[in-house]
Amino acid sequence: MDSELLKGTLSLLILSLLSRKSMYGYEIAATVHRDTDGAFNWREGSLYPNLHKLQADGLIAGQWEEKDTGRKRRYYHITQKGRRALREKLKSWNELCQGIKRILELTDGQD
Amino acid sequence: MDKIELYLDQVCRGIAGPRSLRQHIRQELREHLLDAVAVHRAAGLPEEQAITKALDDFGGPEEVRGDLETLHGHRLLTTIVDKSLEWKEKTLKARWLWATVAHLALATLIVLDSFFIAWTMIFLVPSYIKVHEDGLLEAANTDVQAYVERADALLMTFVPLVNNIASYWFLWALLLIVVWGLFEWRVRGENKSLMRLSALGLAALVLNVSAALTGVSLLVPYVIALPTLYAQSPERIVRDDTAAIATALERLEKSVAARDWKESELDLSDAWSAIRDLAGRGAAAPALLSLAEQPKIDRLRASLQSASHSLTDVQNAILAKDPERVSATLKTFRDLYQSATSQQ
Repeated sequence: MDSELLKGTLSLLILSLLSRKSMYGYEIAATVHRDTDGAFNWREGSLYPNLHKLQADGLIAGQWEEKDTGRKRRYYHITQKGRRALREKLKSWNELCQGIKRILELTDGQD
Repeated sequence: MDKIELYLDQVCRGIAGPRSLRQHIRQELREHLLDAVAVHRAAGLPEEQAITKALDDFGGPEEVRGDLETLHGHRLLTTIVDKSLEWKEKTLKARWLWATVAHLALATLIVLDSFFIAWTMIFLVPSYIKVHEDGLLEAANTDVQAYVERADALLMTFVPLVNNIASYWFLWALLLIVVWGLFEWRVRGENKSLMRLSALGLAALVLNVSAALTGVSLLVPYVIALPTLYAQSPERIVRDDTAAIATALERLEKSVAARDWKESELDLSDAWSAIRDLAGRGAAAPALLSLAEQPKIDRLRASLQSASHSLTDVQNAILAKDPERVSATLKTFRDLYQSATSQQ
């Protein structure tokens, strides 16, 4: 898969995953890998600037939590503002997908 | 896990903001990497490979750092340090290049100096000694002659020294190889290259000075004695030698007549030395023959000098642009020259 396409949609993916439940960074990366059957060939390190950006924008919030293993992890959860932003982004995404799909169908038809 | 910490150093050190922010980001990234390593180890990979895979999946440190710095900003000090390290690396590469050039230049100089000194010893010095023994290198006056003698003394100090070194050249070469090998093997440190350069520089300096002194001590006597060389005739030297023989023989006869045997031995030694000198002179035979013709030779020299002086009149006639005068003075020169060269 083209990594440039993924870059633009990473924020949407993060918000979408966090809307299900709170997750920490590695959990988000592993979930993406599992749910897409490894189709995304991406740099896991690019997750964190996006997480920090979303946190700075107030769309998600994070806190350190210590689990049974004794290790501290930073868990992120979506905020109300983030849910509203997710709805907007999903709407835009669907419109984009519809538009692209129409163009591609027309192109297929001409071939 | 040192690899992970090293990676995190590279990623986090340039992020702007308070130290707590960098520590926070570092902690978060560390947890991610440790989780990834644990997963890979559970999948059967050895620890080193698990760490390498986790770091590869995470991305190159420069890229991750770039993304984080785009968001949080970058520290000016880190940028300065990075640029300084980059500059130092470039400088070290340039330093290596210039050091190599310096080594090669000095080594070439040493080789050329050695060849020059060897060539001088083999070809020039024997010729010089022969000319000197023939007594041709004498200055016009005694004050200047002192310089000739000093140059001669310098050369005669240097020549045996070089010959001694050359006689044992193999041992010297072996010693040099051993010392150099020990230096390369045992000496460590940043200054090693400079030490090597200094040694080469010193050797080049010594050889250069030696070559210069050799050249000067050969050249000075020739330059000083040149006017006298032109002026004097070989007959004069041979005449002095024959006079020395005559004097020594006269003293010998006197000491024999006086039954002074000790004195006789000394007088004989003087005569012997004088005749040996005469026998060794290259110019002796023709000079001895021409000694009988000395007045003729002196007249010949005088005629040639007159012919030479008459060309001054020719020059003046040319400057005056007077063709008749040129013809007349040229005829005078021809007559004088013909007269000189036809003398037998």
